[in-house]
Amino acid sequence: MDAMWLEMPLLSLLFMTLPIGAALTWFWPRPEQARVIALGTALLDLVIVGVILSRFDPTQAGYQLVEQARWIPSLPVNYLVGVDGLSVFFLPTTVLLFIGVIVASWNTVMSHQRLFFSLLLLLETTTLGIFCALDTVLFFLFWELSLVPLYFLISLWGVGPNRRYAAMKYAMVMLAGGAPLLLGFVLLAFNHADLTGALAFDLPSLLATPVPIETERVVFALLFLGFAVKMPVFPLHTWFPVVAMEGPVAVVALLAGLKLGVYGLIRFAIPLAPAAALEWHWVLAGLGTVAILYGAVAALAQTNLRRMMAYSSLSHVGLIVLALSAFNVQGLQGAVLQLLNFTLVAGGLFIATSFLYQRVGSSDVLSLGGAARSMPILASLFLVLGLASLGLPGTSGFPAELLMLIAALKTHTGAGLAALFGMVLGAAYFLSLYRRAFFGPITSPVVRDAVDLLPRERAVLLVFVGLVIAIGLAPGWLLEMLRPAAELWVARLAMG
Amino acid sequence: MSEVYWFNHAALPLLALLQLVPVIGAAWVWRLARDNPARPASVRLGRVFALLELGLAIALYRGIDTSTAVLQFAEWLPLVGPIAYHAAADGVTVLFVLLVALLVLLLVIYSLVRELPNAGRLLAVMLALEGVLMSQLVTVNLFWFVASSAAEIALVGYLLWFWATSPEKDVMLARFYQFQGTGIALLLLGTLVLGWSHAHATGEWSFDLLDLTRVPVEARVAPIVFFMLFYGLGVRTPIFPLHGWLPVVAQHGNVAIAPVFLLGIKIGIFGLLRYVLPILPEMVVEWHLFVVGFAAAGVFYAALLAFQQSDLRRLLAFAVISHTGLLIMGIFALHPMGFQGGVLLTVNFGLAVTAMWMMTGFVYRRTHTTILARLGGLFDRIPLIGITFLVGGLAIVGMPGTPGFDAAHLVLEASIERFGALPTVAAALGNVAAAGFLLYAFQRAFLAARDQALDREVERASREELWVVGVMMTVLLVAGFYLEPWLRLVEAPLQGLASHFVGVKGL
Repeated sequence: MDAMWLEMPLLSLLFMTLPIGAALTWFWPRPEQARVIALGTALLDLVIVGVILSRFDPTQAGYQLVEQARWIPSLPVNYLVGVDGLSVFFLPTTVLLFIGVIVASWNTVMSHQRLFFSLLLLLETTTLGIFCALDTVLFFLFWELSLVPLYFLISLWGVGPNRRYAAMKYAMVMLAGGAPLLLGFVLLAFNHADLTGALAFDLPSLLATPVPIETERVVFALLFLGFAVKMPVFPLHTWFPVVAMEGPVAVVALLAGLKLGVYGLIRFAIPLAPAAALEWHWVLAGLGTVAILYGAVAALAQTNLRRMMAYSSLSHVGLIVLALSAFNVQGLQGAVLQLLNFTLVAGGLFIATSFLYQRVGSSDVLSLGGAARSMPILASLFLVLGLASLGLPGTSGFPAELLMLIAALKTHTGAGLAALFGMVLGAAYFLSLYRRAFFGPITSPVVRDAVDLLPRERAVLLVFVGLVIAIGLAPGWLLEMLRPAAELWVARLAMG
Repeated sequence: MSEVYWFNHAALPLLALLQLVPVIGAAWVWRLARDNPARPASVRLGRVFALLELGLAIALYRGIDTSTAVLQFAEWLPLVGPIAYHAAADGVTVLFVLLVALLVLLLVIYSLVRELPNAGRLLAVMLALEGVLMSQLVTVNLFWFVASSAAEIALVGYLLWFWATSPEKDVMLARFYQFQGTGIALLLLGTLVLGWSHAHATGEWSFDLLDLTRVPVEARVAPIVFFMLFYGLGVRTPIFPLHGWLPVVAQHGNVAIAPVFLLGIKIGIFGLLRYVLPILPEMVVEWHLFVVGFAAAGVFYAALLAFQQSDLRRLLAFAVISHTGLLIMGIFALHPMGFQGGVLLTVNFGLAVTAMWMMTGFVYRRTHTTILARLGGLFDRIPLIGITFLVGGLAIVGMPGTPGFDAAHLVLEASIERFGALPTVAAALGNVAAAGFLLYAFQRAFLAARDQALDREVERASREELWVVGVMMTVLLVAGFYLEPWLRLVEAPLQGLASHFVGVKGL
């Protein structure tokens, strides 16, 4: 452990390179080269993440690569970052997703190219920060800061006519969600002060402090509310379909692929208020079940691939929440695996859709029919990712969904059965829309003349598909790496 | 309260210099500008004096001992009876002095960028205002504070009238003087009653802060004094419902200069902290829920009105009224964290509002209007100005990474401690509402599609503009990520202030 303190501050290095890359991208004199710098920065980060993974010891359950510095001593807020088994694998998937988005935006940004790519890098910084922060205030800082680049990305480069409305709606909903979140953290800090005489905002001390059940209920409600908005959970989801339609298609991949709200639930809400979470398992299970069915039924009614995928992701988040409410190791492993899987699958699907959108100018099945004839590679890669989102055996979706279903059926049998039904619906909406978009006669000349994937686009999607299949065929090693941290998480919950 | 004289720990009477340098500068610049309006020498001189003043402020910052609540750099000179010249500074003073010096320097550059008419005379008025503001900050004699307040109001009125942007300036000025005149009159009355109360108790008139805090105020007059001082300062803060002058002044006065003097530097809050809270702690405790109730109502009332505005300047005016409610809530939580949060939030709002007004001024320079329907599409041409406007807005909302976050955080903590969760949630929601209308303003002005009929080529940002933009961004973001020195600066004096409320009945 001591040796680790002496090593390079890898996580800080990760955070540092990105803003530097962003500044470089912004101030680079030749706008057309901005994207190259952005891509280079993201690739550099992939290397750093590789080093982080190689240093990470999967047999340990605690936080690793921890870095600490005083930030606001009088409050006392610290710069405290680190990773454990539950968070470390989000780093490579996040970086991969951002690389995919940068490539997908290669030729689509018409104005302010430098600003676009530097905002993407800033968003990457805050996203990685969210996964690494071990201090509640630092976490909140990254959490809220991610709003600023997203607001600009949606309102300036959105594809829909109501993009500004969508950006505003997103920002307002997220700010409203941020208020209960901060309040929940402050209440925990006060509880710590009541017991020990000093405020504390860092996760390790807060986890070690017992909380009276009355306070815990309030804290859990506040934190859950804050995270539920981001997930999103029915009925707080209305921003998501709007943003999915109005925002830039590639950027929506980030919102669909990175389920930060669920991560917040796993990392903060449940461990910090374990007794309240256990007491209210039925709220989680109920909301999860409603989301599964509501999302699936709503997805059935869509004709636009983007809206369909937005509702489908609502349904998938529902299953994760349901699995978490089991509070056992399988449920948590399945949930984390599904989150990782989601970054690749939902992110990949939206990136594939953005390729489609660039060629056809639409993602509505009414103007798409027969796309598989002119774009066979795009169509087949889209299908593989789509099947992974259904949980087909052989893809990474299968072990995740299986674990989650087992966990749900064990603890909430009725809800588990509903979830199974939701998966059937999932197959129905995906396959029917896929058939209408990619098969059948070609009706539009735009579709007929469309060019199939370019090499760089193919490379990105192939990496995603390759990882999906690799994890799907051999999920064991990943699940083993998740296990120690997951067991610690469940054990802590049982103590609370 | 106690004090240390300047000759015990400093080489120069810094406080006197802080007041005199800008006044001398003002007189000099005024003469140069009157003799030869076309000569740029007056402009150059104005810049030098503004810089010099910032240097003095920094010297004061370096000289102050932050570990104690004792008033330092004290200067005393008997004048007429109880009206003595008595100046002293603590950490809170220093923070405000730094703010004033920085904002005036920025205003000097801003006014040159804007190419306003009569630049020399404008600089002279601004320097004179700086001197008067410094007087209000460093004095510890209430009468002196009132007198320099009156001088400030007179000078701001001149500024508003001479550099107004609208033909309706008569109405605007009348409204300004009605409100501010009433405010000053209330302050003066409250001051005189305080002096009388001191004479009643000790046989000797005094307006000196150190005397007034030592002798409790006569119980019969204490509530009256509290309300006269509170409302007198409230007009200037401005707090709901004494804000009637602000929207009119914002709309018809000059775009940034007078608003920055009136709103960027919240002398009303400073007056509350310096005089009202320590002199009348019992009354403050008795009425603090009343004050907080009005403040909370004001947050939402002003937010609601802000959403209705069609003019960017009026919208900003209501934004200020709305966030002032939050400040008052922080301070009247009467808790050390609330005081710290309140003071830092005051400074943060000052900086943020200044950034927003100045960027509005840069927009006005191009469009000659601030009516939202006639703006739009500016982001394509002046992105950095737009982003600075947004950063100012985000600082007001308390976005992490701006000084507003830590300050609002402290205020919320104090508010939870004192009032419980529900009012705190309400205050936080008020903040979200503020985010709503500020984002709305940003969208309408910078992002919305431009009206084709009004199509025009918007000039890109000039080098001087970028300079102002850069300084504003740097100050907001650096202070946001590294708040520690400012917290340390105000901690000891505010702990001292909080000690007035330990053991007071009713808290």
